[in-house]
Amino acid sequence: MIRFENVTKVYDQKARPALDAVNLEIDRGEFAFLVGASGSGKSTFLRLVLKEDRATSGAVYVAGQNVAKISSWRVPRLRRGIGVVFQDFRLLPQKNVFANVAFAMQVIGKSRSVIRDTVPEVLKTVGLEGKEHRMPHELSGGEQQRVAIARAVVNRPGILLADEPTGNLDPTTSMGIMGVLDKINQNGTTVVMATHDDDIVNEMRKRVVELKNGIVIRDEARALYTSMIPVVGQSRRLKDASGREAPEAGLPGEGEGQR
Amino acid sequence: MRLAFVLGEIGSGLRRNLSMVVSVILVTFVSLTFVGAAGMLQMQINQMKGYWYDKVQVAIFLCSEGSTAAGCASGPVTAEQQASLNTLLESPAVAQYVNDFQFESKEEAYNHFKDQFSNSPIVDSVTPDQLPASFRINMKDPEKYQIISETFSSQPGVETVIDQRQLLERLFSVMNGASLVAVSIAGVMIVCAILLIATTIRLSAFSRRRETGIMRLVGASKTVIQLPFILEGVIAAVIGAALASATLWAVAHFFLGEFMSQQYPDTAFISSGQTLILVPALLILGASLAGISSLLTLRRYLRV
Ligand SMILES: Nc1ncnc2c1ncn2[C@@H]1O[C@H](COP(=O)(O)OP(=O)(O)O)[C@@H](O)[C@H]1O
Ligand SMILES: [Mg+2]
Repeated sequence: MIRFENVTKVYDQKARPALDAVNLEIDRGEFAFLVGASGSGKSTFLRLVLKEDRATSGAVYVAGQNVAKISSWRVPRLRRGIGVVFQDFRLLPQKNVFANVAFAMQVIGKSRSVIRDTVPEVLKTVGLEGKEHRMPHELSGGEQQRVAIARAVVNRPGILLADEPTGNLDPTTSMGIMGVLDKINQNGTTVVMATHDDDIVNEMRKRVVELKNGIVIRDEARALYTSMIPVVGQSRRLKDASGREAPEAGLPGEGEGQR
Repeated sequence: MRLAFVLGEIGSGLRRNLSMVVSVILVTFVSLTFVGAAGMLQMQINQMKGYWYDKVQVAIFLCSEGSTAAGCASGPVTAEQQASLNTLLESPAVAQYVNDFQFESKEEAYNHFKDQFSNSPIVDSVTPDQLPASFRINMKDPEKYQIISETFSSQPGVETVIDQRQLLERLFSVMNGASLVAVSIAGVMIVCAILLIATTIRLSAFSRRRETGIMRLVGASKTVIQLPFILEGVIAAVIGAALASATLWAVAHFFLGEFMSQQYPDTAFISSGQTLILVPALLILGASLAGISSLLTLRRYLRV
């Protein structure tokens, strides 16, 4: 479903590449975690899948198509096949829950009746029945993220990309969100989730792809956040007293890992 | 559905940026009013040209009752004087410069006058006696006016020789100058309008970046994302163009049609109906100004 062939992404000639010769294949229906410290290239990976950015070298295939070969007017069609959720939810504050989800259907020209039928169904999937008319500020963070997920999957994309979806949520709420993502994955959607939340990764026992400085240093099925297999030639990351990674500099304003 | 969505977006965009939208309306209104004013001046020139230009180039006015010119010392022109002038015009020395000529009697001059100013009150106050008879000469080469003037000015029975074309041309050059000024002001104002529209679109795109960001992610087409912004500018500019059209019509109707034609009853002014020709031109100009400037702005500020 997603295939990276020797993909390198350089933002800044003077800095190290954000992704460095990444080879990776994620199959249809798979659930994969992208883990690694801030700045390890997780978001860059997701952006390349969406054709938000162009790979400096190498090829990115999505559903068998080389995204570099998709002409700009057909990029919207690529994106209709991919749902995305972010750490900061990105809801429209002046629209209620129903309208936020419906927005994703309106802008691609779905009819009013289809919207009326589909939105409640999707809201039920993410566990927001009866909250259609709430405004975003009347919802908890977890509920807001559920709305964002509903919006991402309402057009039935084959792929769901989640960039630290639990980054702003407490552990219990995060597990709820993971339940929703798992359910969506079970319905056949390929899910790729970037995170550095070790509890969640350890709980889910899914495929884990670990990035470090833009390099894939581990790709393990049904894995934990940290490898059980000692990696030869790689120094282990330092952990602080709480067992979490020492924070590294990320993108300005990204505010990762504040739980 | 998509149409309803685009319309809804336009509506909310216009409301959100009301003060900017109003300024776009006003700037396009003023700039297009100047464009239209230049157009109206040209129409006025053509109106006068159409009536005068090729009809008359040189007029030899003959002495009438009250003439005070030196050649008129012997009183109004006599039949013999008139006949000899006619002969002189037909003589080879003069005829080589003349396409054709006509005699216009007092009576004809009066009818002519009546036709030209049919809707002006001056007609009632003029009698055939007050208008001089004349020879109307169509020159082969208008530049040779001097020859006719020298030949006829001193002839008995001739009050004066007038190159009407020169008179008209002086007036037309003033009017052309005025329309040039109008076009220059319009040019400056159009630049203002384009910059203002660009700024408005940019602000609008900025204030709705959340929406457009989401639209991009869920795969909305470029048209659906950009059209509301483009139409926002186009609608504001078209409203400005409509105001400019209404203003020009009102100027033609009330100022030219009622005030000026009373002040200058001997001039044929363009009618308010004629200004309507300018309306589609102004609307198209306004819409394309906005369309082009918003397209250029969006290409830079609204990534798709
Ligand atoms: N738009 C950008 N311009 C320049 N550098 C960037 C940009 N986005 C990311 N980077 C750099 O690329 C590297 C990877 O960033 P990112 O993919 O956001 O990592 P992660 O999501 O794992 O924190 C970082 O060093 C970051 O500073
Ligand atoms: Mg990131």
